[in-house]
Amino acid sequence: MEVSSLPISASHRGKLISAGYTSLSSLSSVSPSHLAQVLKISENEAAGILKVASGRSGLDKIDHGSGAIMNGAQTAWDMLHEEESSLCITTSCSELDEILGGGIHCKEVSEIGGVPGIGKTQLGIQLAVNAQIPAHCGGFGGKAIYIDTEGSFMVERVLQIAEACAQDMLEYNNLLRKESQACRVDKQPKEFLDNIFYFRVCTYTEQIAVINFLDKFVSEHKDVKVVIIDSITFHFRQDFEDMALRTRLLSGMALKLMKLAKKFNLAVVVLNQVTTKYTEGSFQLTLALGDSWSHAATNRIILYWNGNERYAYIDKSPSLPSASAPYAVTRRGIRNSTSNSNKRHKLM
Amino acid sequence: MAPLEALERDYPLIDFNFRSFCASHTIFTVEDFLVHDLNALEGFAGREYAPEKLKQGIKQVVSIIESEHRPWLNGLELLEDAQVNKCTLSTGFERIDVLLQRGLCEGHVTELVGPSSSCKTQVCLKAASYVASKYMGKVMYFDTGNSFAPKRVAQFLSQSSDPTNPEVSKTVKQVMSRIVCHSIFDIFTLIDMLHQLMSDLKSQINCRVRMLIIDSLSSLIAPILGGGAHGHALMVTTGFLLKELAHEHNVSVVVTNHMVAGEAGISKPALGESWKSIPHVRLLLSRNHANNGSSVTILKHPCLATGKSTDFMVM
Repeated sequence: MEVSSLPISASHRGKLISAGYTSLSSLSSVSPSHLAQVLKISENEAAGILKVASGRSGLDKIDHGSGAIMNGAQTAWDMLHEEESSLCITTSCSELDEILGGGIHCKEVSEIGGVPGIGKTQLGIQLAVNAQIPAHCGGFGGKAIYIDTEGSFMVERVLQIAEACAQDMLEYNNLLRKESQACRVDKQPKEFLDNIFYFRVCTYTEQIAVINFLDKFVSEHKDVKVVIIDSITFHFRQDFEDMALRTRLLSGMALKLMKLAKKFNLAVVVLNQVTTKYTEGSFQLTLALGDSWSHAATNRIILYWNGNERYAYIDKSPSLPSASAPYAVTRRGIRNSTSNSNKRHKLM
Repeated sequence: MAPLEALERDYPLIDFNFRSFCASHTIFTVEDFLVHDLNALEGFAGREYAPEKLKQGIKQVVSIIESEHRPWLNGLELLEDAQVNKCTLSTGFERIDVLLQRGLCEGHVTELVGPSSSCKTQVCLKAASYVASKYMGKVMYFDTGNSFAPKRVAQFLSQSSDPTNPEVSKTVKQVMSRIVCHSIFDIFTLIDMLHQLMSDLKSQINCRVRMLIIDSLSSLIAPILGGGAHGHALMVTTGFLLKELAHEHNVSVVVTNHMVAGEAGISKPALGESWKSIPHVRLLLSRNHANNGSSVTILKHPCLATGKSTDFMVM
């Protein structure tokens, strides 16, 4: 039944099939007014159905050039060149950047998870600030979207990190002694705050609505380079009775984020919490939201404690080998871990 | 099949008289026509006004239906087709080829299932690079999770070719131009793309496609499965389209699937019981954390015994 694979509403589909229109060829010679009469729907709706059907059968008649086999496809060679010339968002910790192959890549959804207090929100804020590093310092000069579900976004901390970033950029420029210093514009810490779009969501429906809205928002603000969702788990963990519905909603959300990342060439960073799972005879710590969600992200980075130091481990990546690197959360943000200082003393 | 009035334009015998005669026997669509007793219908036609024209109309509809069904084949023709048209493609991993007795067959839908980060995407990328370099023809890669890494494909190609050969970079360009990647984010787009691919192959506009990889199919089906029967129908429709594409156009189709928790904490492949019968070959991949390698087990195969497994390493 070819009609069942068209993207039309369930009631229209039911009416079409019961009236006998089960294949696309049967719809090719029907006028909208006749269809509206037979199915007892409005003429606009009938015209919409016929448009979708002709779009599907019209694919047969598209004239292709001798090059690409289908519209919209790219060869691997073209993609390799695109990838080589693309930038990454640095995390301000050189060891972490090294294992990530330069930083957080665009066109990918990266999932970062860890126990509470490991520094997920700090990393999210650092990335939101670093996406705005201007092009003459090796960054994107773009804006950031921060979707906060837990309420852990502290503006004073963002200001602190932004000030440290501005200071670092100043030092970098002084070191290089660029000739074009006259036309270089210093970035003020307050400007960093201006370029972060902040959304606060309080229920899972709001979260889904914001993600649906992002497509329109980003097409109006084309210089957004990173979308950070902190955290994606919070509203899906408590009070969700229908697990099958949760899986469907989460998979749908993952596909929309992937589409957003690819279409607008930005990086999507999703922060996740941990849960315990019973595998191989013992309880182990894994990321929350279940098995289906673990396939939803392109990359996965797990943050964990090793003694008194924070480490990041690449758990899943299509092109990077598994590796771990230490990092530290300092007053200035995420930085390289030094062996003695900047360790947190865990409360026993 | 359409209601009978849609056929009037091309077949003038099926005119208003014929249709009102059919309507008087509650036949409105071709399906109703098929389930009706045609001898009895001819008997009734004999008693009507202008019986000859009505009987001709009945014969016309029957001939339209007969032209729609697929041709009969016998075993010998199928064997010849399998030996001549459908060759076996190597995956690029020697040990997997040995396990599968030469590799992935064209005309088969192969499913790679495994928990997260068990090298499913790596196997897909390596197979794509190997098939594109060793066999003439294109490789189509449908990517749903932005995980097609051209850097990794280039790495695989430079591993398998001779590093002292100065022609290497030219051949890498040639080979990578044969791998066509498309990003797909919902099931309806996938069905559209499959139809488009089939019509392109039918009209032979371009050179042949050797392999189609969909990574991963389960992430496209997960949002629609479970909320009523429609999601299920779409999944099965997609499965049949893939099988038709594989058989008619001699393409090896590879899809990936993920695992979900089953009873007693043992994982099972996602997409449920109805999906199990659709792929021809099902391979289970798992990561061996001790030596950083992976292992593959046969879950289902038309010619080999299930349960056989082997280890392999992704470099």
